[in-house]
Order: sequence, then structure tokens, then C-alpha cells
Amino acid sequence: MKTFEEKWTAWIDDELTGHDLAEFEASLPDLAAAEAEKRDAQKLGAFLKEHLPCRAMGNEEFFHHQLRERIASETAVPTSQGAGGGRVWWPIGRLVWVGATALAIFAGVTFFVMRENPATDQSQYLSQILNARVDPVVSPNATITMFESKEDKVTVLWTEGLRSLPSEYASK
Amino acid sequence: MQRRSVLLLGLWLTLIFGGVQAGNGAQTVWSGLVIANNVAKPEPPSPELIYLEETLKDWFGYNQYKVIGQSRKVLVTGSEDWLAQSKYFSLHIDSKEGNDKTGYRVNLKLFQESNLLLEWEAKLSKERPIIVKGPQVGDGQLLLLLVVQ
Repeated sequence: MKTFEEKWTAWIDDELTGHDLAEFEASLPDLAAAEAEKRDAQKLGAFLKEHLPCRAMGNEEFFHHQLRERIASETAVPTSQGAGGGRVWWPIGRLVWVGATALAIFAGVTFFVMRENPATDQSQYLSQILNARVDPVVSPNATITMFESKEDKVTVLWTEGLRSLPSEYASK
Repeated sequence: MQRRSVLLLGLWLTLIFGGVQAGNGAQTVWSGLVIANNVAKPEPPSPELIYLEETLKDWFGYNQYKVIGQSRKVLVTGSEDWLAQSKYFSLHIDSKEGNDKTGYRVNLKLFQESNLLLEWEAKLSKERPIIVKGPQVGDGQLLLLLVVQ
């Protein structure tokens, strides 16, 4: 069952024939006005065909290729099989073993690196005082001297003139 | 199946042994606030001071060395800070980045309550103590000790 618009379009394009044509023209309230409108539409169509020719596509092959690719990707069935038929993902068991092997290699390398730099019991270097200062406001006459004793293996920072404090300051 | 078990056992042994070795790399810094004075009946020094007692006597001449505050810090990252404190004194220690085989670089500040008395920067080597002579306290002397153990 065609709608009025479809019948109207077919009538304008002279595609209605026989019984359909007679029935449609009988249904028109003003056949003369409709005929005038049909003529105008046909004139406009002829004019457009004459002055607006379809432009040829310069890169037709490219668009065809794109369309084919798009259609292929949309219609492809997702599978876990690769193009060569081999499995893409490793089984869980193999992944676990690969991870464990990597960890073992890491631990082994760490162990050998640590062995190359063993922690000695005593450093061959004495500790060093790089710089020192007293608060000149609290202890204006204080002096600082640094000693490094290789015999005792100690470094001493010797201060003189710090403000003396009462014995209660010796509490824990 | 047997081969896999052997591999797994090997893996765990390696990991455990590697962990033990890595643990051995961490070092402990002992820092102490010590009051040195002369008394009629000196108390024996605390365990941390036993091997230093003779050195302390040679340098400072007192017969008793008593720890009034201490802390023990395991250096994990090498960039850490901690505090050793007594009732009135606190020693703030800040280990800086850039430590190498020759020692740990540390910034130290001695506070008497909120007053900054002394500030110094040092490079601490293992088993090579730093001893700092602090202020006179009563008839004794405040000493600060730092040892990488």
C-alpha cells in the first residue's frame, strides 16, 4: 500500500500507469493545479540535470578500498586463532613458568652483584666531619676543632666555649 | 613432574638466598647521647660503649660514660632521618642521598630543648665512630656518638 507521497512522486515522474494513474488523478482535489505543479517540477529537474552534472570522483579506488576494508572488518568473526592457525595466547601454566624463570634470573643476578661488593666489617676510611658550626647567638665564643685519629679509628669534633648547663640536664 | 619440582625448589632457594644477601647490605647506625663524668664508683658502660671505653677515657679522661639517650636506625633507602633524645637534648640526624662505598653522608643537629647548639655534616664510615664533645653539663660533659654497625 503506497502512501500519498509515494504515489505523488511516481506521478510526477510519469511512473503511474493504467488503473493506478486514473485512481490517483481522481483523488486529486484540483487536477489542473497539480498538473501545473508537475510541469514545474519536471522543468526544475531538467534544469538541474542540465546545469549540475555529477562530478567524477578523483580518488574512487581509495574510497572503494576503504569501504571494502570496513565491510570486511565488520563482518569478520572474532577468533583466538592467528592468521597462521597458531595460538596467540600462552596457556596459564606456561606464563607462570616464564614468570618464575624471570624471577629466578633476577634473584640470581642480584645475588652475584651483591657478592661482588661484599659488606666488609670495617671501612678502610675514617669517618669525616665535612663542616660544623655553632649558633653564634647561643655560644658566641665557641670554637670547633676536628681530629681524625687513625690509631683509635675515631673522628672527634672538639668544641670549646659552649654554654655550660646545670647538672639536671644530664637526666635521661 | 619431578623436573618441575626440582626447578621450583631451585627457584625458591635462589629467592631466599638472594633476600638474605640483600638483607646483609642494610646497615644500622647507633647514635647516643652520653654523659661523661668522674665518680667514686663508676658504673660499667652500656654494651654499645664497651669497645669505645678506652678510647673515650684517652680522649676525655672521665671514668664513667652513661648513655642518657640513644637510637638505632636501620638504613634502608639511605635517605632517612631520625632522632636520639634525652630529657633535655635531642640529636636530629638526617641521612642524605648520594651515599657511596666510603660512607653515609649525614646532617646532624644538636638541640638543647628548642635551642640549636651545634650543627655539622659528616660522612660516616662503617665501624669508624664519630665522637662529638658537647657542652659542659654540671660536673660532667655531654658527648655525642655515632657508629655505623
